[in-house]
Amino acid sequence: MSDWGQAAWLMLGGSTVLLMIGMPVAFTFIGVNLIGAWLYMGHEPGLLQLVRSSVSSVASFALTPIPLFVLMGEVLFHTGIALKVIEGIEHLISRIPGRLAVVAVVSGTVFSAISGSTIATTAMLGSLMLPVMLARGYHPTLASGPIMAIGAVDMLIPPSALTVLLGSLSGISISKLLIGGVLPGIILSMAFVIWIVLRVKISPELAPQEEAQPSLKGWPRYRLFVFYVLPTLCIFAVVVGALAQGWATPTECAALGAFATLVQASLFKVLKWSSMVKALEGTASISGMILFIILGATTFAQILSFSGASTGLVQWIIGQGLSKDLVIMGMMVVLIVLGVFVDQVSMMMITLPIFMPLVQSLGIDVIWFGILFLICMQMGLLLPPHGLLIMTMRGVAPPSVTMLHLYQAVAPYVLMSLLLLMAVFLYPPIATYFPALLG
Amino acid sequence: MKHPSTSPLSILSLAYGRLLQGLKALGLVMLWLMMMVIVLDVFLRNVHLPGLPQGLAWSNELCEFLLYLITLCLSPWLLRQGQHIRVDIVLQVLPKPVAYALEWLADTLVLACCVFMAYEGLQATMESYNSGALSIKTWVTPEWWSLAPLPVTFTLLGLEMVWRMQRLRQAPVAPRSDAVSAS
Repeated sequence: MSDWGQAAWLMLGGSTVLLMIGMPVAFTFIGVNLIGAWLYMGHEPGLLQLVRSSVSSVASFALTPIPLFVLMGEVLFHTGIALKVIEGIEHLISRIPGRLAVVAVVSGTVFSAISGSTIATTAMLGSLMLPVMLARGYHPTLASGPIMAIGAVDMLIPPSALTVLLGSLSGISISKLLIGGVLPGIILSMAFVIWIVLRVKISPELAPQEEAQPSLKGWPRYRLFVFYVLPTLCIFAVVVGALAQGWATPTECAALGAFATLVQASLFKVLKWSSMVKALEGTASISGMILFIILGATTFAQILSFSGASTGLVQWIIGQGLSKDLVIMGMMVVLIVLGVFVDQVSMMMITLPIFMPLVQSLGIDVIWFGILFLICMQMGLLLPPHGLLIMTMRGVAPPSVTMLHLYQAVAPYVLMSLLLLMAVFLYPPIATYFPALLG
Repeated sequence: MKHPSTSPLSILSLAYGRLLQGLKALGLVMLWLMMMVIVLDVFLRNVHLPGLPQGLAWSNELCEFLLYLITLCLSPWLLRQGQHIRVDIVLQVLPKPVAYALEWLADTLVLACCVFMAYEGLQATMESYNSGALSIKTWVTPEWWSLAPLPVTFTLLGLEMVWRMQRLRQAPVAPRSDAVSAS
């Protein structure tokens, strides 16, 4: 076997084995990096370089949006503003089949516009809306499916911590990736609403027939929307507007967004010490683990490159004479299969060192590829048996909702995501139109 | 026989947990500080106030260092919380004794990683200190300042792994229920 082949097997195979025996992701990469640095980077000097790379990996200004985007969502949820947003949207939506499921999707879309964490969005909607929907007679699949699906869309609609990470690791413009996710995210949200309405029309037994409609008229009906939903959307407009206009970098937008969310909570007099601490702790849990994986894994790509494994694999794939489209389809299949087994951060760490040189060698539009990558990861959040959001929903759902219900519930939404993936593949402007406006 | 919660090891573990809580609190304060520094920088750059600088030239560098320190302060606490994500799909389908044995194998490998990283981190720090290497950005600082926290964190992580293995020894023969995904 060639040298690069051995290196590829050791690094990629070794990390897979360590992941599967249950080693924490960060330590899996640290383990294979220690061996790889010793073997392929000149023994002791390689290990010292590994230490220096670990330090510089997270001491990066480009990564600061990760905790800040997560903080935005955590503040929204721990201060109770999210509940008011749901109420505000619920007052506006009436006389529509599967009304509360539609409210969940619309509320989730609004949360996605201010939360950078898919877990936070799903857990919040699941704990607030699922019990109400079940109590009113919604079938468990109709009650849980839209919440999990819209939670996954959170990753596409900015702000998104994972999009920042993808941009940072791949070298793709973070601003363009964030903006590029808006249209696919909105298309999915609209498709979810249409699906819910059609599904209830076809099978009316899934939702209560005589659902209590909001009885408010006039100003009281719009009050919560004006006071809570609009200011929340304004923060999104500021963040995305500043990004799109080039007034501020993603990092600055993240800081401004987090600060604006805190100001909003202060103005509503809901920013208590306890809620602030909870929001910061939630932020620390999510972003701390992501950042530590980056610290452990950054050298992985360097060793793959140094050992010749990246170049060897890329040359081997190009040498097969496959068309660009086939190569991209192959990469998407790999991502979807990986999504069944591993989390999103590991997916990026394992595949990007190979995929990005391949994308660049073949002259593929990196923004288009980045959005396809994001859609695949978004699907991974929903794929049985271990999709993250299925597990999150399991954690907040009552015992009457079984795992089988959850698997059945996500199926149509996974199919819709797959259709979107195909649509973006066949018609790239869905992903590239808005980023192209940035220049 | 002593109750596990009153044994010296458990008392020591609790005290160690409080140290990790303190590091977490420090991480949260730095997170807050990082946000405020960036907001202040953007504000000063875009709103020109007489008598005040137009932006903070050192804000990027400070935030980079803060982000690094936040990561290091939080990681031992996250390990105690079982929040360093992992893939447990294989452990869940294996017979419990086999999964339990793999937990031991994984813990041993993690402990070895911590020991190696702490050692190599210390070597890198000493080498940098002895050579007088500088980090030249907006601020000029000795390079070992940024290297030194790394071996400290991996030492803390290694110690937490020892407690973690002790807890595994007392736990039922089955896989743990640690976090499996991020964000």
